Amino acid sequence: MRTTSLSRQLVVGVLLAELLCAAMFSFTAIAHEMHGRRRAFDVMLRGRADSLLGAVQDAEDPEDNVFVDPTELAVPQEDAYEVLSPTGRTLGQSPNSPADLLAALGAHRTGGYFNFKTNKGWYRAVRFEGVRVIDRNEDQGGLRRPVIVIYAASTRDLWHEAVEAVRFYVLASVLLLAVTAAGLVWFLRRRLSPLQQLAAIAGRVSAQSWEFVPPNDVLRTAELAPIALSIQQLVLGLQQAFERQRQLTGDAAHELKTSIAVLKSSLQLLSMNPRTTEQYEAGLEGLLLDTERMEELANRMLALARLEEAPVNRTEATDLQAALNAVVARLRPLSELRQVALEVRIESASKAHMQAEDAELLCSNLIMNALQHSTPAGRVSAIVQSCNGAVELHIVDQGNGIPEASLPHVFERFYRADRSRSRNSGGAGLGLSICKAIVERANGTIQIQSEAGTGTEVTVRLPAAPS
Amino acid sequence: MRVLLVEDEVRLASNVAAALRERCGFAVDCAENGADGAALMELNRYDLLLLDLMLPGMDGLSVVRHVRRRKDMTPILILTARDEPAQVIELLNAGADDYLTKPFDLGELLARAKALIRRGKGVSHPVLTVGPISLNTVEQTVRCDGQLIDLSPTEYRLFEYLIFRPRAIVSARELLEHLYDYNWQHHSNVIEAHISNLRKKLRAVGEETSIATIRGRGYRLEAPERQL
Repeated sequence: MRTTSLSRQLVVGVLLAELLCAAMFSFTAIAHEMHGRRRAFDVMLRGRADSLLGAVQDAEDPEDNVFVDPTELAVPQEDAYEVLSPTGRTLGQSPNSPADLLAALGAHRTGGYFNFKTNKGWYRAVRFEGVRVIDRNEDQGGLRRPVIVIYAASTRDLWHEAVEAVRFYVLASVLLLAVTAAGLVWFLRRRLSPLQQLAAIAGRVSAQSWEFVPPNDVLRTAELAPIALSIQQLVLGLQQAFERQRQLTGDAAHELKTSIAVLKSSLQLLSMNPRTTEQYEAGLEGLLLDTERMEELANRMLALARLEEAPVNRTEATDLQAALNAVVARLRPLSELRQVALEVRIESASKAHMQAEDAELLCSNLIMNALQHSTPAGRVSAIVQSCNGAVELHIVDQGNGIPEASLPHVFERFYRADRSRSRNSGGAGLGLSICKAIVERANGTIQIQSEAGTGTEVTVRLPAAPS
Repeated sequence: MRVLLVEDEVRLASNVAAALRERCGFAVDCAENGADGAALMELNRYDLLLLDLMLPGMDGLSVVRHVRRRKDMTPILILTARDEPAQVIELLNAGADDYLTKPFDLGELLARAKALIRRGKGVSHPVLTVGPISLNTVEQTVRCDGQLIDLSPTEYRLFEYLIFRPRAIVSARELLEHLYDYNWQHHSNVIEAHISNLRKKLRAVGEETSIATIRGRGYRLEAPERQL
């Protein structure tokens, strides 16, 4: 991928704009200067032509001719001129001018200023008809001799002079350009260093080191502070998620290793000494129980993984009533064994967006929990209600409740409010996590309220599916 | 020898306790949580503490710190399902003596337990001798000049405890404490009866090694000075 540099673009952009300005400025200055100088040139040209007119003298010959007397003339040698009679006869020419220049001079027939080019460069000329009064007397007024005067001078120096005049501006512009470029680069380097610091610090963040402390330079820069703060938030969130995941993996490994340790020690104990048939039978029974517990653990971990990863099927709807009845029928023997009354109250129709399997798992986990925490002669109620387009499932027990300190953690995986007791009653601390995953997949909420000594109530609220 | 096992996984605890009783002849007390374990450590004197790390309430590390703060020198063997080096280092630095990761081999656990008990009593060789009598802690046998002396399990345990502390006076109360777990109903005359049987069996092999009764204080394993 091609990368673009903002600072390079900025420098180039500013310099281009400045160059354009300088060019326009210089051009305008030159044009203005040229205009002034051209006018002055024209005036000068006319002045010299007039003095040429003044040099026209009577030839003192029978035809009363006139001629140009160069000795009377004080004009630059490089200039070219020609004086013609109205009939086109040449009365006088600049003596030093090359023939092609004079030819070009004579080729122009109309009056006024004009430009032309010879092999020596550009010339500007003026042609006008003048009247020379010769032998002026006090009474007669003398002889009036009309002549045509053409006078040309090279404009070669005009450009040079104009450029010379605005050279200061041009030089100043170029200098300004250089200073701007250097200053801009220096400024960007200096002001962008916090950005590089930020990148360096962010680059050092890894799974091993989560430290991300933006330097003060960064936090003081208005444009960078929000970026730095959001990176900080991001890193913090990632770290927490990562730690949670690591904790989870560690907990899962701990549970599995403990299960295997139980199994292995049971087997080794059995084979350590010769045993009687009864001892072997008891040992095998224990092993079977250990294996069942391990199977249960594996099932729950897999259920949780499935719930968290599989895509949600929005089309399927399950009747909670049916799921609840199936679960209650299955758990009835356990409740009788524990001498706990188990009642179901369906107050309204109850379809929710979840798979039948999940609905049963949800009900079974919640009722099982309630039964396990119930004291003999207690009561567990499962109630289904409809409320503002939502289906509510309440599981209420009259058990010994959950300690207040444990309540915020009960949905965390592998969490046990009372670890030793729960472990021996078969749970791995995954039941409520599974319930939460099921409910959240169905876009619902699950809440738990508990009071020590009075009992616990779990409330599941699910968006109702059309029945 | 008496061992305290603190482990919240009841099935694992019962297996380990059974193995310690059967194979080593140890008296084993079990606790299911850290607080109970720490309380039992204060109440009784143990020759070894077997401690699970992840315990409800007070965790294993806290128990280790608690025990060591009380200047209790009992060897501690940690059982853990986690084996991150940082955690192991922290444990050993807190005062634990050894650790074993779950799932462990029961045989290895027993061997480590015995080794730690030996070390705790300042002995390194698994065979202990007093005069011509030697006790093999691995085979759990007692021999006199190579000849096997047939002892009951309780007599063996009694002799094992005494031979770890030769020429020291050991009270009947101490013997009771170290040979029986808390489920046992204490009767000091039980010790007296076993000592008497042990004396008879030692005398039968015709040895001058004997168990002397120090009136009002306890018993002492005696052997000729030069042979000890």
